[in-house]
Amino acid sequence: MTQQIQVKTDNDNAFDIREFDLYYTDFHALKKINMEIPLNKVTAFIGPSGCGKSTLLRCFNRMNDLIEGVRTEGEIYHHDIEIHSKEVDVVQLRTDVGMVFQQPNPFPMSIYDNVAYGLRCQGVRDRKILDEVVETSLKQAALWDEVKDHLNRNATKLSGGQQQRLCIARAISLTPEVILMDEPTSALDPIATNKIEDLITELKESYTIIIVTHSMSQAARVSDMTAFFLLGDMIEFDVTEKVFHNPRDKRTEDYISGKFG
Amino acid sequence: MTTEQQNKSKTLIRERSAKRRSLYKSVDRTMQFIFRLCGLIAALMIILIVFFVAARGIQVFLPGYENPVSLGEFLTGMRWRSDQGVYGVLFIVINTIITAFFAGLIAFPLSVLSALMIVKIAPKRLSNALTTVVELLAAIPSVVYGVFASGAITDIVEKIAGWFNYTTFGGNSMLAVILLLAIMIYPTITSMAVVAIRAVPESHELGSLALGASRTQTNFKVVLSSAKSGIFAGLILGLGRAFGEATAVSMVAGNAFVGPTWNPFDLTRTLTTTMLSGLHETVGVDYDVRFSVGIVLMIIILITNLAINALRKKMESGD
Repeated sequence: MTQQIQVKTDNDNAFDIREFDLYYTDFHALKKINMEIPLNKVTAFIGPSGCGKSTLLRCFNRMNDLIEGVRTEGEIYHHDIEIHSKEVDVVQLRTDVGMVFQQPNPFPMSIYDNVAYGLRCQGVRDRKILDEVVETSLKQAALWDEVKDHLNRNATKLSGGQQQRLCIARAISLTPEVILMDEPTSALDPIATNKIEDLITELKESYTIIIVTHSMSQAARVSDMTAFFLLGDMIEFDVTEKVFHNPRDKRTEDYISGKFG
Repeated sequence: MTTEQQNKSKTLIRERSAKRRSLYKSVDRTMQFIFRLCGLIAALMIILIVFFVAARGIQVFLPGYENPVSLGEFLTGMRWRSDQGVYGVLFIVINTIITAFFAGLIAFPLSVLSALMIVKIAPKRLSNALTTVVELLAAIPSVVYGVFASGAITDIVEKIAGWFNYTTFGGNSMLAVILLLAIMIYPTITSMAVVAIRAVPESHELGSLALGASRTQTNFKVVLSSAKSGIFAGLILGLGRAFGEATAVSMVAGNAFVGPTWNPFDLTRTLTTTMLSGLHETVGVDYDVRFSVGIVLMIIILITNLAINALRKKMESGD
């Protein structure tokens, strides 16, 4: 991503979204979204089911490309580059924008191979480098101490919470700038959820995190910025504290106070 | 509704449900009995077959038998001359393993790639067409494969032999058997692999793509390794068919008297062809010894299954 296509004004953002629309064939899923997602902050997307928050998240690493019938208009800039432009290599983009899914999805292979997978796909074969990356990634994902003695064990044998931390380690292994998290704790028990939330707070130092969540308390706990979506519109986007305590929009207030959802 | 009415209807419901419950209970009991019976029949069939074949096959080695065969010579022998009363099965075992192994070696990669093509790569209509083709191939009776082999494959083998300055017995050869078996087990392994690959959760693929892996990397590294277990089950079934196929193989094997056969253009003899050919034109020891061959065949299939299962477990545990 060296080529500069269109210069933007502000360089402190991970993503600049401008007049962005997305359609699933005829369904208008995202409507004229304009927002700037800051670097090295945790940004939370909240809103009722079907509001488009996950759809927008999947635009950032172009996972929507895989869904038939998706059409987009408008722009999303990632460091001066429009991510839908022809110059963008999707593989490159995805190594720079990692993703953690709702259901932990470790591959049915060893813990080591899971973490080394991304690098190996990039052609890294050097055992020393792989060992090092596996260790640092697992350490960063707060899983190292639990698994260091059996890195050869099949990853599917880990508990749900451990699996999700492994998926985070897997994403970290490519040293991305941004980590997208699509309801990363909705399949986990409260203790595992706590661990992931603590981890998010730690990771914020080195990564930009965008998290979609159904739990408003989670958004309030972990995020710096919160965006509220409703029926494909971005209703409000501001500092988390402000969104939760002093929302500008009546609909945000109603959603946060539990009047609908 | 008054309280009285409510009570009345409640009693009614209770009476009814009591009747129902006893009915359900007896249905449950009957069904349980039927299920147990089915299990018992399945188990009995295996026991009966194994016992019958074993009893008949072992008797030829016992001293009380008329013209008994020496067990040692049977197990280590490299000649099978029923006209001379010589029955050595070892070379036949080796032939059988070689032909099944090479058939598997040809068919397995083709099957796995075809399955990947059908499930992940081909557009929907082509994928449906290919699935139908594979199903049809699996449904062709083995005797039809047999005439195809003796008419077509033998010609090809004869030509190939010509290139290397070899002559064949009308194309009947080990190579013909291998090619025939490869064609026959291809649909078996493919259809199992298709099922296994279809069952791979989409989340694995998405996870791989989200890590910047290409489609091909995803298919080979994640999809195939997730489907490993089912693909190996397909391999077991395929090899089982390769070991067990008698009719078609008999039509091109040529039934060599001695062996093992190392030259692919030479005649061969497998356990199944030995059991089948001339079965109805013979009596006495030549008839009974076929049961002994049957025991050997069952043991080989059992060992192969165990070995593949062990290999699969080793690959899955990752240790």
